[in-house]
Amino acid sequence: MERLNLSDAAPQGPGALPPGQGQPMMMPPGPPPVPQLPPQMFTTAAQLLDLTDKKLMVVLRDGRKLIGVLRSWDQFGNLVLQDTVERQFVHSEGKALWADIERGLFLVRGENVSLLGEIDLDKDDYIPEPFKEAPVEQVFALKKQEEAAKKGTGKRRNKKLAEHGFEGEHSGEAIL
Amino acid sequence: MLFFSFFKTLVNHQVTIELKNDISIRGTLKSVDQYLNIKLDDITVVEEMKYPHLSSVKNVFIRGSVVRYVHLPAAAVDTPLLEDATRREAAQTGAKAKQG
Amino acid sequence: MMADEEPSATTADANPVNEPLDMVRLSLSEVVFVKLRGDRELQGRLHAYDNHCNLVLGEVEETVYVVDDEEAGDEIRTVKKNSEMLF
Repeated sequence: MERLNLSDAAPQGPGALPPGQGQPMMMPPGPPPVPQLPPQMFTTAAQLLDLTDKKLMVVLRDGRKLIGVLRSWDQFGNLVLQDTVERQFVHSEGKALWADIERGLFLVRGENVSLLGEIDLDKDDYIPEPFKEAPVEQVFALKKQEEAAKKGTGKRRNKKLAEHGFEGEHSGEAIL
Repeated sequence: MLFFSFFKTLVNHQVTIELKNDISIRGTLKSVDQYLNIKLDDITVVEEMKYPHLSSVKNVFIRGSVVRYVHLPAAAVDTPLLEDATRREAAQTGAKAKQG
Repeated sequence: MMADEEPSATTADANPVNEPLDMVRLSLSEVVFVKLRGDRELQGRLHAYDNHCNLVLGEVEETVYVVDDEEAGDEIRTVKKNSEMLF
């Protein structure tokens, strides 16, 4: 499949014929060759290396949002997060609130990560209107309510759809 | 390896990734790895009000396993070439299965 | 580049169907219907697939089945979305 891009440059360097030996290589007709991107750009490690020691927003598979500094990681995407806070949002009953809870040091198993976002330090902790910071207890209580309501409708929904031959995407997992 | 190579050809194109938790994130495809983990730059979240937590995030690393769809720019895809590549990959893996 | 290393696409097409994914191979560049997890269906032209059943479809219509939370008896509604190309 490496040849999917027809306009790739022919291999160069030690593997190629030394100049002046044999026939000159004919360039294929068509678009000019595109310089090959270095293969090391396309590894998990390279992608995580860029994010090391940066302040990140980590979204877990269960919907929790953690904000912390990425200090270490491995090839499985296991992460160590320092000075982590968990940020909760609620958007119900006409209220849009958020709160942070101090959590400390985390080791997150890679399979539970859904997304890592680098926080733009220029827009650090920018939270769009109409969200307002509120006491943890208040947000936490509302969140509980919201989740309970979702669980109820989710059950009814899955039952109804199962009658029509559908299966939920994540049986048993609560996801937002 | 088919889709790994395929996504490599789409680097620097605008894509929209829809996750299994229904968030849609649009951005420039910057990098992909063998698990189809994807890195996007200059992101915007399609329904910002529903997902306010990403408003201060500029680039994201998305785990391949949580991706539902990647919406691609059709103009950037050579479909006959892609179909040929698929047939070749199928022939290759088919031959491997017979050996093993 | 290295085009003579493996059987060409035409010989691959001449291969008999001896595993389920060979059926999928025969559907390349045809319009296919795909039933997904998460109450979704897709209809589109199949351009690529792999062993994991990752797919690339063109001119796709997605149908999502949703249940309205109304007290009026939880009706199933479908939402259609289109996409020019989808992985």
